[in-house]
This record gives sequence, C-alpha cells and structure tokens, in this order.
Amino acid sequence: MIDIFKQLMGQSQQGMIGLTIDAINAYEGPCVLSDVDCMVEIPAAFGIGFSALAVTGAVGTGLPGGAELIDNGVALGVESRMCNAIKSAIYYVESGRCKKPDMIITTNACCDAMDTLSNVMNHYKPWSDVPKFILDSPHTYDEDSYAYFGRQLRQSVTFIEEVLGKKLDWDRFRNICLESNKQTRLIMEFQELKKAVPVPAHPDFARQGTEISRWINQRLSPEVTRWLEQLVEVTEERVRTGQGIDGVTEKVRFLWWDLAGSWPPSLLERVQRELGGIAVVDYVSYGTWTLIDMTSEESIFTSLAKRFLLEGPMTRQALHSTDLFLDDIMRIVKDFKCDCVIMPAHIGHRDTNSRLKAVRELCREQGIPCLILGLDIWDKRYMTPETAFDRINTFLITTGLI
Amino acid sequence: MEMKEQILAEFRQIAGTLINSSIEKVKKEHGIIIAYTCSFVPEELIMAAGALPVRIRATGSISAGIADDYFAAANICSFVRHIFKTIVEGAYSVADGIIIGGGCDANRHIYDNLKRSPLTIPFLETIFFPHASNRFTTDCYLNELKDLKGKLENHFGREITDEKLWDAIRTCNETRRLQLELYSLGKAGNPPLTGSEVNSVMLSGSSMPKSEYNLLLQQLIQELRASEPRAASYNARLMLIGPGHDDPSMSRIIENLGGALVFDLTCYGGKMIIGQVDETTTDPLQAIAGYQVLTRPLCPKNLNAQEHINRIVLETIKEYRVDGLIAQNFLCCDMWGGAQFILNKELREVGIPMLRIEREYPMDAAGQLTTRIQAFMETISGGSI
Repeated sequence: MIDIFKQLMGQSQQGMIGLTIDAINAYEGPCVLSDVDCMVEIPAAFGIGFSALAVTGAVGTGLPGGAELIDNGVALGVESRMCNAIKSAIYYVESGRCKKPDMIITTNACCDAMDTLSNVMNHYKPWSDVPKFILDSPHTYDEDSYAYFGRQLRQSVTFIEEVLGKKLDWDRFRNICLESNKQTRLIMEFQELKKAVPVPAHPDFARQGTEISRWINQRLSPEVTRWLEQLVEVTEERVRTGQGIDGVTEKVRFLWWDLAGSWPPSLLERVQRELGGIAVVDYVSYGTWTLIDMTSEESIFTSLAKRFLLEGPMTRQALHSTDLFLDDIMRIVKDFKCDCVIMPAHIGHRDTNSRLKAVRELCREQGIPCLILGLDIWDKRYMTPETAFDRINTFLITTGLI
Repeated sequence: MEMKEQILAEFRQIAGTLINSSIEKVKKEHGIIIAYTCSFVPEELIMAAGALPVRIRATGSISAGIADDYFAAANICSFVRHIFKTIVEGAYSVADGIIIGGGCDANRHIYDNLKRSPLTIPFLETIFFPHASNRFTTDCYLNELKDLKGKLENHFGREITDEKLWDAIRTCNETRRLQLELYSLGKAGNPPLTGSEVNSVMLSGSSMPKSEYNLLLQQLIQELRASEPRAASYNARLMLIGPGHDDPSMSRIIENLGGALVFDLTCYGGKMIIGQVDETTTDPLQAIAGYQVLTRPLCPKNLNAQEHINRIVLETIKEYRVDGLIAQNFLCCDMWGGAQFILNKELREVGIPMLRIEREYPMDAAGQLTTRIQAFMETISGGSI
C-alpha cells in the first residue's frame, strides 16, 4: 500500500514538472496559451496543447531560482504589491522566455492580477499576430451565469476551429467529456474519503493528486483515470482499516483556506510531523465537482461553464461573493470535521484581504478558532517558514487544540 | 466677481464637499437620492427612476479608519478603503439607496462589506460590469440593467418608462457633450482653465442635478469663449491618467510647478466624456449597454480596455499637444498598475515621457510627489523649474 502511495506521489510530482516554463517551451505542435486553467476538455478534443501561464508562474516560484524569478518580475514595474506568481508569469512573457503560442485565450477569472496577466499576454508586441479570444467570467453563480459562460465556451470552439482550419471532432469531444466525468467522480469519491478520521492520505499528496489530475495537459487520458482509480482504491482501504498518514498521530484537523502555494507545503508537512496538525482541505482540493451534462451540445457547454465558475482552483473562492466564501468555510469545517481555520491571507489576494473581518466574525460566532497569517504563498522571504510555524504552534497551543 | 469666477467658485465649493446645497435641496423637497460608486453604474437609469444620482467620493478623507478592519490595509487599495470608510461613517446617509459598481476585486467587496456593516441602507445593490466588449457581454450587461431597473421600480414604486429613459439619456449626453467641449478648450496654446479647475467642474457633474449642472456648464463655456485668453505661462503640457481622481490636489501640485494639465483620463474626469449613448436606436437600455460596454470600456478590468486606453492616450497626446504623461496609481491597484506598465511601453516607442507614481489616497506625501513631478518636468522642459 505504502509503495503505491509513494509511486503515486512520484507521478504527481512528475506532473508538476510538466507545468514548468521549460515544459511549455518543449511542447511540439499547436498550443493554446491561457492565463488560467479553464476549458481543458476543448483543446484536448482538438488534440492541441494547453498551458495556463498563471500556474506556470506559480510553479516557477517554487523551483530553484524562484526568488530571482520573483525579483525579476518585480523589476519589470507592474504594480509593486501584485501577487508574485503573476509577476513571475509576466516576467516569462516579457523576457521572451515563453515561446510564442498559436493562440491565446484569456479570461478575467479569478482575480485582478490574473486580469493584468491577460492584458500583458494580449498586448505583448511579439505576439501581436497571435489570434486571441477573451472569455468574460461573471461574478455570479446561477443558471443564467453558467449559460452565459457556456455560450462563450461554445464560441471559443469556433475560434479554435478558425485558427486551426479544422472542425471539432464531436465524437472525440464527447469521449473526452465522458473520460472527464469518470475522473470527476473519482475525485469526488476521494474528497469524500478525506472526511474520515484520521485523514487517510497525506495532505500534500491529496492536494497534488487533485491538482495534477486537473491541470496537466494530458489529464483527460485513461492513464490519469487509472491513476485516480488506484488512488481511491488505496485510500478506501486505509479508511477501512482506520489508517491515518504514516508516522503521524493526528491531533488537529484544519482548513487551510487559500492556495497551498509554492513553499507552504513544506510548512504544512512540518506542522503535521511536529504538531499532528493536518490541513485537510484547501482551495484546490475542494470542489462540488460538477459532471458534464451530456444531454445536448448546450448542456455540455453550460455544465463545463459551471464546472469552471464553481471549481476552477481559486475561481470559486475569488470570483464570487463573500456569502459563498463563508458558506464554504462552514460546510467544510462541518463535513471534514475541522477543529479550526487557518487563513494564509496571501498578500496578493485582494479578494481574501477584502473579507477577513467577515471570516473572523463568522468563526467567532460559530466558536471556530481562526488564525490569519498574512504571508506570501509564493515568496518565503515575506514571512519566513519559521515565523509562520511559530505562529501556528502558538495558535494551536493557546486555543487548547494541542 | 465676474460671472466666470462665480461659476467656478460654485463648482469648487461642490467639488470640495461631499453633500452640497443642491443635494440638500433635493432631500428637503423629498426627492430620492441614490449614491453610487464607479462610472459604469448608469446614471441614466437612476435619473429615469426620478432619483438624483450622486457619485460617491472620499474627498478630504485623511484616514481609512474603520475600513482597515474590513479590508487589510497593507494589501488593499487605499481609495477603496477611504470610500468604504466615508460611506460607513455616514457621509452619504442622505441617500435613499446605494449602488456599488462591479469594478475591481476590492471595489466589489465594498458591497459585501456594506451588507455586513452596522449601517442600514434601505436600497443596497450591485451591478456587474463585464470584462470584455462583445455581443455576449453587451447582452449580459443589458440583463443587469433590466434587473436593476426592476429593483429600482419595485423599491421606489416608480415606473421607469422608455420615455423617461430617453429623457435621461438626452440629458446625460448633453452633459458629456458640454464636458467634452470644456476639455477641448484645453487644446488651445493657453488653456482657459487649469487642470484643477476642470477637475472641480467634472466632480460637480456627478454631485448635483444634471439639468442645473448643464446650465451652469454651458454658461461657463460661453464665458470662457468670450473672455480674453490667459497668458501662456506653463513650462510643459501634461496629461494625467489613472483610477479615481476625486481630489484636485494632485493637479494643483502640477500647476504649482508651472505645468499645464491639459487632459486627464481618470475615473471622475476624462473617462466620463468619451462617446455618447446612441439616441437613434429603439431600445434605450440597449443603447446604454452599447455605450458602456462597447463605446467606453475604459477600465482595465475589462480585457478589451487596453487597446482603447492606448488609442485614446495617443490621440489625446496629439490633439492636446501633450509633452508628457503622469500616470498615478494607488498602491495595490493591480489593474491600473498593469495598464500603465503596458501603456508605458507604447509611449516609449513614440518617445513620449511618462512618469509613474504609486501613492496612497491621502495626499500626505505631497512633498515627495512634488519633487518627483518637478524632476520629471525638468526632464521634459530641459531646464530647472
């Protein structure tokens, strides 16, 4: 069992390498470059590559030379306090380190910084002749909003067809959507399993497993489906036998309500190892997992839209209202039996930093201990891992949780 | 005092206060007042509901106060925080309703945080503004307008007819036409008004009934056309761009250094005068949607805005014979930070100097700003100022 976990972890880390700027540049064949990870099923159905530059910038901050990458991004002169993952992505473009894509599809989701990245991609002179398409992500999450975004996704198909000079193979698209649904069901099952006490899977693994299954270019392949099947199978067995994370005595479960970022995973591992604190859920590993409705062409695009607007990592949290943000906290704390909430409050997230009072008050009313850190999830120089660990340790001691 | 000075004094007085005598008069006569943030909230719709639209400002605010409890001070634009504080402290308690425009992430959360504030606002709404300019997004914004129209009608018990909408459109188009005419006077070798005076005129435009405003502005333009031109005494013709510019202090710094601020592309200023609502179509709401989404998408939150911003800036530089551009931004405004970064590259290509300033909303670093602007102007004019 443990070996399979290790093997899966290795695979997920391999997948992370696939998100780097070098991987984008090494990709051969037509490629669509986006700012965010949306509508992967569509380029996959066309058989073309897909990269989300914001993710690549974020991954870059965690690679050797990450600090230098951030400093280069700062030196460009975009807004000085903008999210460093985005500054890094902008640096990849402006320094000419990102190869010219065949087409660019951007959207405003999920945050202001992402909009800036989109604007930079769309106005980078050497890419002026690259065909571009813009999707408008609404800040609402109702049936009208899904239909609205779905119509735009359908239009993006026409755009890609025009660029490539070939029509979408609808049979292939349907098969990919079916494969995507299989994977979604497995992710949903895995999420359910994480509700068990003790948590059956390493949080890093859970997080990366979900991330990779959603983000890598080839994610919609049967191999990834098999990978997820193994994941669920192994995790089910661990739940059945009451097995928690190897070598960890679970004492506290908490909601880490932000992205994990590039350096906090090692912080969370230390919290787990030394304090028995488990980050059960974060932005990426939580979703309501909408299945693609295969009933009609319209329903396919509308449900893909719903999936993006509600489950794009950080899109669900940043794009929409504080009501949804708070409801999620309450639901997750209850369903995943969390003892407390830790808000990393990443300095670049304008959305989160606009609603911290609401979170604090909700937690106070509900008697849920809440810690707000205020760190930079991409740059450990802002708040060092040592300081962050000390603050978490002190918080857990003073609240009596350990 | 000559007529021109009288009118300017009135505009200065209105711009310098949040609630002026015109607003108080409307209140006294039991009129409806709706305060709003963001120029993408359609004044026409509010006016057609028989209400006075009043654009929310934070003019004169020196501390974000309670807003720093709602918004993290280090990471959220101070303009948003000061606006929020101004509302929560009751400066707009005269209003019967507040509408928050979509705008940036922090701006959107003014609405969310107002809902959770101790303030009781009888009519609190928000309107989503699309982030792209095309037929889908125009339709989307049209639906937002229809939705808001219904809410206004239900809450205030007044029917918003097409006729009332067209009346409001004509009035607002006239405002824009007059404001554009006023700005155009700045093309002259010796502009008849200073930049800060134009700021006051523009701020007044969204702080009093449009009909009164249009009359005053028309009179002012006539007076300016009739009066002797001022002696040209500036050492550089400058343009200002950036987000909310609701305080003429920044313009005064430029003027005190001998600069002529001939145009501003800011949220309370020149951005308001671009284009007109099409009066030849049949559906007034459709006409408003087309104007807001397609004609003037000038907020960088709209992913089609940059090309409009770049084009308008380059055209203005030519028309107004601008020597240099001052791009001011509030710290943590990702949107304008990015837009100015892109624009700067464009301007470098055509050899137009641009000074970028990141600052907090209150003008408490005026000395530092003065030094930087002075150095910039010396670079342009090739000598000490």
